[in-house]
Amino acid sequence: MDSIFFLSFVAVLITFPVFCTGDTCLSPVVTPQVYSTSEASLTSETAVIIEFSLTCKNHLKDLNLYADFNGKTFPVSRVQETNRYQVSWSEAHKKLPSGKYAVQFFDEEGYTNLRKAQRSTEDDASNIKSLFTIDVTHQGATSGAWVQTEFIAVSVSFLIWYLAYNTRCKLQK
Amino acid sequence: MAGGSKKLTKKEELLLQDFSRNVSTKSSALFYGNAFIVSAIPIWLFWRIHQMDPYQSMILFGIVTLVCTYLIAYAYKNVKFLLKHKIALKRSEAVTREVMRKVADDKKMAKQEKDERILWKKNEVADYEATTFSIFYNNALFLLFIVLMSFYILRSLSPAVNYTASMATAGGLLALFSTSSK
Amino acid sequence: MQSTACLAVLLGLVCFVASAGNENARLLASKTILNNFLVEGKDLTVEYNIYNVGGSAAISVQLADASFPETDFEVVRGNTNVKWARIAPGSNVSHIVVLRPLKSGYFNFTSADISYVASEQSEEPQMAYTSSPGEGGIMNYKDYDRKFSPHVLDWAAFGVMTLPSLGIPFLLWYSSKSKYEQIKTKSG
Repeated sequence: MDSIFFLSFVAVLITFPVFCTGDTCLSPVVTPQVYSTSEASLTSETAVIIEFSLTCKNHLKDLNLYADFNGKTFPVSRVQETNRYQVSWSEAHKKLPSGKYAVQFFDEEGYTNLRKAQRSTEDDASNIKSLFTIDVTHQGATSGAWVQTEFIAVSVSFLIWYLAYNTRCKLQK
Repeated sequence: MAGGSKKLTKKEELLLQDFSRNVSTKSSALFYGNAFIVSAIPIWLFWRIHQMDPYQSMILFGIVTLVCTYLIAYAYKNVKFLLKHKIALKRSEAVTREVMRKVADDKKMAKQEKDERILWKKNEVADYEATTFSIFYNNALFLLFIVLMSFYILRSLSPAVNYTASMATAGGLLALFSTSSK
Repeated sequence: MQSTACLAVLLGLVCFVASAGNENARLLASKTILNNFLVEGKDLTVEYNIYNVGGSAAISVQLADASFPETDFEVVRGNTNVKWARIAPGSNVSHIVVLRPLKSGYFNFTSADISYVASEQSEEPQMAYTSSPGEGGIMNYKDYDRKFSPHVLDWAAFGVMTLPSLGIPFLLWYSSKSKYEQIKTKSG
């Protein structure tokens, strides 16, 4: 109840061509769990955590994955002896307003292509196919309205008193 | 008949003063009852928002509420006394008309009796309005003081100290301000 | 209160392991608490940053933080034991764990352990530690709530309570006032 979790959902699956076997994860099935900071007053930065489990049709395990979020890439960490992975980073509250963000995931090959495309001016990095995508729905880190309630209370009581005072002045004239 | 005059006669003056000084038991009960309710309301704020435990602080709540009840009732009385005269002046004309209209058919009634009736009614109306307005005004001022003191000025103090100081200041200032005419 | 606020800013000294030769990987790691306040039952965000300042990639980098006992903390999201296959030279990785303190009071936040293989040639894992954020006070929920919750419902109830004590005398006064002012204007 204290913390708000963010919706998580199954990623978009991109099936690779059949000839592209070997190290590529075939028809990945991703079950993500996403966390993002909801109370800005509590922390100095907004944190995003994406945890997911990944199973491939060709039973690949311990993949080296990379996540791309708004042009920044992060190596994905593995939770040992499971098929679970985690990627997490933090950003200033203002830089991460509420909204839906897509985080793309690449394997080694895709990551190499992505880096190449990012470096060259001709290639468009958005053309590089990702292995899968996880959507992050960030509700926005609200700083809470505790100042406001008291301020409203004081304002209302002041207004009532002012009306009373005004009336009293008229009565005493 | 002094229907339109803005000044009260000496006799009227004396009567009004006499009435206002001796607060009747009924209006006294009204004052204390109201003062008690208003001075008990802040307990809610300190219980719910300042997180004071109502059972542990029961004695403190009780004592402070009673002291504040006395101060608020004192303020009610003073403000009522200050207002009663002005209100009596303001309503004088209308009250006279009202009473005259009522007793107009009664030819037998002596002038003196009519005057007394008017005076009595004037006193009643002024008393009623001054009482109700005084309660309203002091309640509004007290609540403003409480919110301002406990959430802004004394916020950093511990809840129990905050409660005692806020209530004492609010009640004290209320009593103090009630003695000045404005 | 102040010590908790300081804690978040406190990045501490970054621990590192001196390694022989510039070609090898060298990791510097920090452990930071991103919170402005630590509150019982509220999210506590711990961030780890690992920088590779060496000349080659660090392999099999493992981060393990055993400093959060189960009796005191509950993991909301994230893992306290993770592994990266490699961290390229000159790059850094970040890792975040969100926990929930179950108790209030002072808690000493100690460092986490890192192990990694410094070069392709070597087999021996290197050990390293992150910085330790130090001691921080975890506020109890009651104090936090008193200071920071909006209490909208409590204020609304307060408004309802004060309404009769203001409304009733005002309306009584106002009805009498209007009655006599009407008489005055009607026949005035």
